[in-house]
Amino acid sequence: MKQKIKLGVLAIQGAFKEHIHHFEKIIEKEQYQDYEIEVVEISQADQLISCNALVIPGGESTSISITAERIGLLEPLRDFIRKGKPVWGTCAGLILLASKITNASAGQKLIGGLDIEVQRNAFGRQLNSFAIPKVDFSSFIPGCKDFQHAVFIRAPVVTAINIFNNTTDSFIKNNDNNDKYFNNQSVVYAPSYAYNFEEKKPQVEILSRLDESHKNLIVAVRQGQILGTAFHPELSKDSRFHQWFLEEFVLKL
Amino acid sequence: MSEVQNTFQLKAGLAQMLKGGVIMDVVNVEQALIAERAGACAVMALERVPSDIRKYGGVSRMSDPKFIEDIMNAVSIPVMAKCRIGHFVEAEILEALEVDYIDESEVLTPADKINHIAKNDFKIPFVCGARNLGEALRRINEGAAMIRTKGEAGTGDISEAVNHINIIKQDIEIALSLKTPSEIQEYANELRVPFKLLQDLIDNKGKLPVVNFAAGGIATPADAALCMQMGCDGVFVGSGIFKSANPEKIARAIVNSVTHYNDPKKILEYSKDLGESMQGITVDSLKNFEKLSTRGW
Repeated sequence: MKQKIKLGVLAIQGAFKEHIHHFEKIIEKEQYQDYEIEVVEISQADQLISCNALVIPGGESTSISITAERIGLLEPLRDFIRKGKPVWGTCAGLILLASKITNASAGQKLIGGLDIEVQRNAFGRQLNSFAIPKVDFSSFIPGCKDFQHAVFIRAPVVTAINIFNNTTDSFIKNNDNNDKYFNNQSVVYAPSYAYNFEEKKPQVEILSRLDESHKNLIVAVRQGQILGTAFHPELSKDSRFHQWFLEEFVLKL
Repeated sequence: MSEVQNTFQLKAGLAQMLKGGVIMDVVNVEQALIAERAGACAVMALERVPSDIRKYGGVSRMSDPKFIEDIMNAVSIPVMAKCRIGHFVEAEILEALEVDYIDESEVLTPADKINHIAKNDFKIPFVCGARNLGEALRRINEGAAMIRTKGEAGTGDISEAVNHINIIKQDIEIALSLKTPSEIQEYANELRVPFKLLQDLIDNKGKLPVVNFAAGGIATPADAALCMQMGCDGVFVGSGIFKSANPEKIARAIVNSVTHYNDPKKILEYSKDLGESMQGITVDSLKNFEKLSTRGW
């Protein structure tokens, strides 16, 4: 009897088809004997409930969050995270999963879940977008010494980790709707209930940093079942990052 | 960890991030902020929307860079700006300004009646309009990293955008039906594109190497969903938003309907109570020289 797995890709706006394409390629290639894996686009709350795991793609984080809120998906997404299901956010997805962001735009909301601070558009505008042709991810993806093309497009970076896990700040711990207040300073927090302070959380692990020429900036993190990357594995031809997420997070349920 | 910049992958990659989104024409900071709050994935900064360009007549040029800069400073989503067809110095100015995308646009008065800009020479990515596969592939060959239908800008009449989407699709079907290299060569000659570009399209099962948005005449949530259902990756909306009675409401409704383009019940909901749409003019009432889509070669 095969175990049924439903992997959702958030399809509000952005490069969701690129993610789906990678997963379908891997599933076809690997033929996981014990699983029946379905990869689906998610744009409504009732579709999300039945998912075992979720990917939040690259796109425009403002657009995704504002639309998610308006179509009634923001709270279901927060519920999904609180249930501890595996979630991976790339670029805009990383921003949405952060607990605090800087350089936010007006009205932007966060889903929350990762105990990190993220700076939006950290490298500047499109002119400063870049790719690294070969990256060594072998410290967490076995054997992956030469990942092809890590693409950073108007990319964010992680500027602090484990900021809330040990906090005694009562404002952060108790405020359930602080996004409006902070908008004046281009800073937005996820509401504290999205983070769930009651529960003991694993620490945030840094998976990957850029080199010294990029100030060793943090570009991939993991906290338990939640993965965040500042770059776009969905724009690479290399499917190894997707395969790792699928096998390490989704199929190890 | 040596990095590369300004590659085609990065230029086309930003367009991929805009997919499933709405790019809105804005003529001032206030409109740009409304667009951002409504969920636009990018804004096109210009001094006059196409319907006003029609009304005012005269020569239409790149907007004042100060004006574009103000919009870039006001919003944190990508900002695009238009230059005239063939006017590579306007493009150089926009690149120096560091806009995120340049639209080499038929909406402005063309500067060169023979050549488009050599877009591969630029660091900033370009989007260009197309009415058929030949135009799309010629622009891609010149370096465009994103294509949009021309439609008929500033009319609020969707028929020309629909027409261009259909023609591109039909042209691709013809390409896919070709069997021998000589047939492909012949069609490449007809489209005035390199053999390799056409061969790549065929090898790729007819999928264009760049994102293709709909533009020109989109005025309602239903128009936007129509283009999405016909296979476009996203939409540009010009006069349709800020020439309507209730821009904020229609902007939100169009963003929603591009996300739920396949769900008639949702689009029904989004279409309700929007107030008056832009008045518009029918494409058929335009004389040929009044059609902006005929510009470009």
